[in-house]
Amino acid sequence: MSIDFYTISILPHAGIIIKICRAYTNSQEDFEDYYQEVCLQIWKSKDNFKEESEWSTWIYRLSLNVCLTLLKKNKNDPKHFVSDTLPAEVTEDSRAFADESLNQLYNAIKHLSEVDRAVILLYLEEKSYQEIAEIIGTNPNNIGVRIKRIKERLKKLLDGKIN
Amino acid sequence: MEKSIESIWKQGFLKSEALVAPKLNDLYNQKSTHVIDKFNNMFRRNLIALVIGAFFAVAFTYWNEIPYLGLFLFLILNLLAMVNYKAWKELGKIDKTVNSFHYLKSFDKWMKEQVSMNRKFAKFMYPTFFLSIILGFWLGEFGGSIPGENLVAEIVSNYPNTLLVFGLPLYGILAITIITALLIKFGDKIYDFDVKLVYGRIYNKLGELIADMEEIKA
Repeated sequence: MSIDFYTISILPHAGIIIKICRAYTNSQEDFEDYYQEVCLQIWKSKDNFKEESEWSTWIYRLSLNVCLTLLKKNKNDPKHFVSDTLPAEVTEDSRAFADESLNQLYNAIKHLSEVDRAVILLYLEEKSYQEIAEIIGTNPNNIGVRIKRIKERLKKLLDGKIN
Repeated sequence: MEKSIESIWKQGFLKSEALVAPKLNDLYNQKSTHVIDKFNNMFRRNLIALVIGAFFAVAFTYWNEIPYLGLFLFLILNLLAMVNYKAWKELGKIDKTVNSFHYLKSFDKWMKEQVSMNRKFAKFMYPTFFLSIILGFWLGEFGGSIPGENLVAEIVSNYPNTLLVFGLPLYGILAITIITALLIKFGDKIYDFDVKLVYGRIYNKLGELIADMEEIKA
């Protein structure tokens, strides 16, 4: 008997996908599109999953890749928001979470470059430097320095907003 | 006291509503389209490859002075391409406006019909393919000497006791007959293996998708 792939293989990891998609989108509509596309790509690519890494790590990598691809695709589409020009004022998605501090942190994260966003999301998810490097495809020696720099930038962005 | 970004992250996601997955709309439609499009593209590419292969066979065998073989292969490959082109045209007639479950079911039905037709065809095609190779090498070049006859002459001069039937070595006839019979008998099995090799993954995905959808409908 066939069991729904979404329910058993994706839904338990939906948190990962939600966190990543939120960091790369600025509206509920885009977020839902990105979420759906990630789920679809997981289903399409599931045969390529080799048990060299955890399923959750694989989902991280795939989610990031899908979001970055969609972001690049959407940059040419004037309907979509471009992160580099994120305005200081409140965006449509800035109330995505019930927790106000989390909303502010997300808005700050969206000011980062695409790769820095991926790095900090993985760091906040308590991934090791080695895992972050593997997912991003970079050298683990540079990750620590990069995280320090990103955290300083985030702190500056959040300054005056959190007590 | 100022909160660290780590604690904002942890505390923010402790609230259960923070991570509610959005509803998936139309996911099965997208999956169906993906599977069928992928199959359609593969099928079309294979048809083109058959026709290119047919022309290549002619050129290659002409160059190697076995043109009859090329001619036979050209006919077989083009016949195969034509039969499957007709089936492919039928695929285009499947109504895309119906819901994805019925679309997939129609596609599945088309595929089963197509496989069943090709299994029957395989019982003819593989032996014909084999006999064409034998005959192609036997006849050799257009208007030239016949290598098959030279071969028989050589066998007879080396082994004078060779039994000949209609001027051909009996053992040769027996070997060709047995191989041809085996190809007729197992042509469908060879085709199944062939299909599994080329379209296996898509077949599995299609079966999985239909099973998923049947489960949802139940």
